Amino acid sequence: MTQPHQPQPHQPSRRGFIKATGAALAAPYVLTSSALGNSTRAPASERIVMGGIGIGNMGSGDMGAFLGRGDVQYVAVCDVRTGVRDGAKNRVNEHYQNQDCQAYNDFRELLARTDIDAVHVATPDHWHAINVIEACRHGKDVYCQKPETRTLREGPLMVDAARRYARVVSGGSQRVLEDYRGIVDACWSGSLGTIKSINVNVGPLSQPCYLPAEPVPADIDWELWLGPALWAPYNKARCDGNFSTGGGSWRSYIDYSGGGMTDWGAHHFGGATFAVDVRDQQPVEVVFNQDSEGNYLSYKYASGMTIYHNKPKTDNLKVEGTEGEKKEPKPVPSYKGEGGIYGDFIHCVKTREKPFRDIEYAVNTIVLSHLGIIAYQLQRSLKWDPAKQEFVGDAEANRLRDRARREPWTL
Amino acid sequence: MLKRIDSAIELVANLGHCSRIGWPVVLRNLTQIIESLRKFWNMNAAKIDEAFEALKTFDWGNDRAPLAPIEQAAVAAKDAAAQGELEQKLLAALGGNLNRAGKDFVCRLLVLVGSAKTAPVLAKWLGSAEDAQLARFALERIPGSEVRQVLTDALSSVKGDQLLGVISSLGARFEPESIPALVRLLSGGDEKVAVAAASALGDIRGSEAAKALAAAKPGSDAVRLAVTDARMSCAEGLLAAGKSAEALLIYKSLTGDEQPKHVKLGATRGVLACAGKK
Repeated sequence: MTQPHQPQPHQPSRRGFIKATGAALAAPYVLTSSALGNSTRAPASERIVMGGIGIGNMGSGDMGAFLGRGDVQYVAVCDVRTGVRDGAKNRVNEHYQNQDCQAYNDFRELLARTDIDAVHVATPDHWHAINVIEACRHGKDVYCQKPETRTLREGPLMVDAARRYARVVSGGSQRVLEDYRGIVDACWSGSLGTIKSINVNVGPLSQPCYLPAEPVPADIDWELWLGPALWAPYNKARCDGNFSTGGGSWRSYIDYSGGGMTDWGAHHFGGATFAVDVRDQQPVEVVFNQDSEGNYLSYKYASGMTIYHNKPKTDNLKVEGTEGEKKEPKPVPSYKGEGGIYGDFIHCVKTREKPFRDIEYAVNTIVLSHLGIIAYQLQRSLKWDPAKQEFVGDAEANRLRDRARREPWTL
Repeated sequence: MLKRIDSAIELVANLGHCSRIGWPVVLRNLTQIIESLRKFWNMNAAKIDEAFEALKTFDWGNDRAPLAPIEQAAVAAKDAAAQGELEQKLLAALGGNLNRAGKDFVCRLLVLVGSAKTAPVLAKWLGSAEDAQLARFALERIPGSEVRQVLTDALSSVKGDQLLGVISSLGARFEPESIPALVRLLSGGDEKVAVAAASALGDIRGSEAAKALAAAKPGSDAVRLAVTDARMSCAEGLLAAGKSAEALLIYKSLTGDEQPKHVKLGATRGVLACAGKK
């Protein structure tokens, strides 16, 4: 659990706002259209009050999506980079034509606010679990960018936190439903017969980072950027948020990311698990195959399904069905509400339903990435117990289920 | 490894004299295979030694490639003897004057090949502001009572953030034997330590942890939040273990109006779960 926060000065709640507004009705005063709402904005009392943690490349996109909704009131931004933080704050204030948005360096101060209903998280991956779990502990619903976890241990703890406090927690891959729709429809239509397997091509794995030390710029809180990761000297390429997984970005380095295996793996494995309808399961075995064309993995499910990783001479998301067989079509689950995955999240915040990429589905997807990384690292097959969340009789692999966090940070 | 291969060659040579077995051709091929392995290890041993030499001056900004033979050896070492051999070399390297990057490299590999022998070496770093995180990076993942003991012993000697780190590592190991030591920290006067201890007890779960948390008297909102979360974690564990009566006691105690809305909601759902309802 992160360290105790200092409670912030009272922030006006929606209920307090309405009380004050009601009292003002006794005196000659004009209620603003902002409070009352209009054709494009819900009344203030019906808006979900949100903040954002991590407003970089993906975070600014998420912020823009939520900011553009009439049923969201965006009130706070948090980033450890001064320029990014101030820029995000200015953008929010420009949007609402006021100065109400608060900016924070430390996410704990944002989460301590009792007026915030929900947050979106788009920090580097090594922060996701702490941000999500703390948000749940503080009664917030969460939209968390993919890949939702950095280690195997984090997933169940995030699901536990969401369920413990009855929070809506959505993972963040819009591609699962949007990019892979054709394959999903083909599988669920029954026209491919009994689905036997699907292949996912994705990579590479991340690597340890020993980049040279550079002076820490004045506009980044380096200690807080690192957070639970092992201390390392600042280097621009170590913490850059570009999308490279071959070096030059935090996505390339093992202390912050699983590389392409988790970064794009969250999308492709997400599409694959959805297409073959195993989102509610985890594999029980990962077979490490050595082939002249390159090593590849076979994830075996108890149901008999197989998901391949990097199977040679096999296209990405290539499905193997039972030729000639036709099965009854199944209705394809979809987003609730309007506005894609963001609208799905907001709808579920209001109705308390589980979102399309509920955290449990997200964890069941990203577990494939983490199991695969360990199989490739150890160069052998693994047996996995989804109920116990451990490798079966495999002390060596079990050592790799988690990574110790730098003090004082903990889950 | 080389001594074991030599022993294997001697054994095969002796068997070859046993004409009654009638395996002369098979044994000759086996000898050739073992000889190949011997040459392989001779070659690799030299490369590994070179890599350890490079490790002595390894620093931020250096190419990691020269250290690759050590990484490969860590993955290839599948039995206790091979792992122990590499572990000794890694611990010996730590005894030299490695740069921070070198220590970082070693501790990452000790996650894989470290054993009880690693515990006393890294125990010395647990109070160091610079190196404690590296020590725990390895120790937290190495199973065994010896490692648990050095972490538990450190509770009485390390301070500040390093103490918080040791507490969190004990929680992450999920060993019930750590509960008594953590319970003592729960009732100390330090808020951050109490929060960390509560969190660790919530990680470990079980009846003993649940009882200790129920008896805690949080002195601040932060400790109260941590204790509540840990108690709910314990309740989940107890319910999953079939101890619904114990879980119900915890959930019922958290449904009062003094609880934050989301705690009350979660606890109420917990009460229903104990009754077998969703």
